[in-house]
Amino acid sequence: MSSGNGATPDLTGPPLSQRRLCFVLGKGGVGKSTVAAAMGLAAARAGRRSLVIEVGGQDRLSRLFRGAHVGHEEATELAPGLFGISVDVEQAIEEYLTGQLRLRPLVELLTRSRAFHTFAEAAPGLPELVTVGKVWTYAVALHEDRRPVWDALVVDCPATGHGIALLETAGNVEAIAGGGPIRDQAARIHDVVVHPAATGVAIVARPEELAVSEAIEATAALRERGMPVAAAVLNGMRAERFRDDEAPALAAVAAAADGPSSRAAEAALRRLDDQRSDQAYRRRLAEGTRLPVLELPQLVRRRFDLDAVRVLAASLTDAVSPNGRP
Amino acid sequence: MIGHVEDLRMVVCCGAGGVGKTTVSAGVGLGLARGGARVVVVTIDPAKRLATALGMEGLADEARPVPGSGGPEGGELWALQLDAKATFDRLVDREAPTPEARERILENRIYRHLSGAVAAQDYMAIERLHELVDEGRWDVIVLDTPPSQNALDFLDSPARITRFIEGRSLRLLLRPPVPGAGFGRRVIAVGSSTVFGLLERLTGAQLLRDLSDFLGAFDGMYDGFAARAKAINALLRSDEAGFVVVAAPDTDAVGQAVALGRRLAHDGYPLSGLVLNRVHLLPPGGLARPEELAPALATAGAARPDSLAGRAAATLEEEQLLGLRDLDAREALSGALDGAPITEVPALEREPVELEVLAEIAAALGAPAPARPAAAGP
Repeated sequence: MSSGNGATPDLTGPPLSQRRLCFVLGKGGVGKSTVAAAMGLAAARAGRRSLVIEVGGQDRLSRLFRGAHVGHEEATELAPGLFGISVDVEQAIEEYLTGQLRLRPLVELLTRSRAFHTFAEAAPGLPELVTVGKVWTYAVALHEDRRPVWDALVVDCPATGHGIALLETAGNVEAIAGGGPIRDQAARIHDVVVHPAATGVAIVARPEELAVSEAIEATAALRERGMPVAAAVLNGMRAERFRDDEAPALAAVAAAADGPSSRAAEAALRRLDDQRSDQAYRRRLAEGTRLPVLELPQLVRRRFDLDAVRVLAASLTDAVSPNGRP
Repeated sequence: MIGHVEDLRMVVCCGAGGVGKTTVSAGVGLGLARGGARVVVVTIDPAKRLATALGMEGLADEARPVPGSGGPEGGELWALQLDAKATFDRLVDREAPTPEARERILENRIYRHLSGAVAAQDYMAIERLHELVDEGRWDVIVLDTPPSQNALDFLDSPARITRFIEGRSLRLLLRPPVPGAGFGRRVIAVGSSTVFGLLERLTGAQLLRDLSDFLGAFDGMYDGFAARAKAINALLRSDEAGFVVVAAPDTDAVGQAVALGRRLAHDGYPLSGLVLNRVHLLPPGGLARPEELAPALATAGAARPDSLAGRAAATLEEEQLLGLRDLDAREALSGALDGAPITEVPALEREPVELEVLAEIAAALGAPAPARPAAAGP
């Protein structure tokens, strides 16, 4: 159904499901965290050991997988094969320093000094750099036998502007830092972030004006910065439930009398309108981004819980697998 | 209107990302203008069609009148889009003691990077508010707040930027090198030179030199920045300001709205009210019975009446579920922040990218009805 109409292969590279590192980006409120969790779960169910990474002090994973305490010390197993971790900026800075300076007492000397904290606040992009650096360490982590520790990594990014800032920060630091270890480290991170085959950015939208426009603008902005945008995800699609030729009978019943039957017919007519407009947004997203569009169904629930994530993971698997391309 | 915003000089709309802050801001502004006030709304990165509806093309740092926004009382709505970099440049312009100091900052690599960064938006939104207050042209200024990882970030931004410009201990550390001594070799105190050496090992000398230049360039400007941050803060806590917290009816957004409301109250910022945006109303009556609906559909000529009746009944049931979910949200909101009035804006059939739809939002927020028909959208 969603197999890449209007997608240009040379722009999009391999399908999202074949890339190891996925950054999930989109306007606030479009369901990035849920989509990230569903992607991780879909990968885990396909037998890949997967890690969902939260950034910016969110605790949405803990809320989605109730009972799980997703911390930043080590990955928490959320479901078989699916792990979650949250990146804590302060801790990531210390870890980074330890990696660079190698000697613990030096790190302590530095982190205890007021000058250092001023530096950390003043250095533009440092929180983003250590965050994306942390993502990088997970992405390149290897077992002793050289196998990667994680088969799939999904990063739940902050909302569009901040998400783009996160992705471009390593490249910016590489450009701004002149020389020295920070520059070299940033260059290594940036190489992974922009890797056209190993990394993919997924832009999430809902079938709504503002979210779709923002997704189209973000895709252009990311391409301009050389980011490997791989797919658009349209979350909350109202699938086709009624056909156009059913409208006359529904309209007749809606007009006939008051009561639950006519209200159901009215609801069905509204739904028919919504289906059409969702399809129009799908087309606009596909044309505007020239990306394959993965559709996720609208789930009407009183509470959004783990079961909903399972349903979405199954939809993602369906959307990806039938013809081998998303 | 909601929270008596018509009696205020500044209205700040805040909330989690994606809840509709920008459209609520525009709705508040339009409502106030139709009530006779001269209003400016400061938007942050609005979607293109909304910007067009508000009469803005591209980045519109200067306020422009919104076509068709006036009311019979002579009110006017103006809109502008925050340009963080332009605002920061003006701030440097105003505060720099000499033209040379100004140039030194504007040309600094770190400044150029920082002023355009998305992180600068928080502070610059508040700085822009200050500028508009100084201009004195407006009865009311409505501020949309930038999307941030944490909806509370923008409140802390003046203090953050002041600390950052101050950078006293770092500046001491980075004092220009004594001629003859190598960069980083001079002795200030044993402790700080060690720290400096460590930093240099990390960053390389170039980055530290740029940073040193950057902080040096702000010499003599710190007091001005601090005074401004203090003045903005006092304005936002005064009874001339009011905060409107916007939430959408889902668990995350309600949770963030509650946290934000509590934080505002705790820090002494005036909370004017809460807006629960895009609320689905609970349809009246009970569920439909497919066995009653099917014969009616058959009479009306449906090809597969049983199947159609089942799908239609399920659709009505979904609407009820959404209505219940949104009632839960309202309850969670009112239970957690008692005393703050909650205004609901219904989920509208059309998207808020036309003035007419913004007028519907304004009406839901309690704006007076326009005496003449709303201006046509694009």
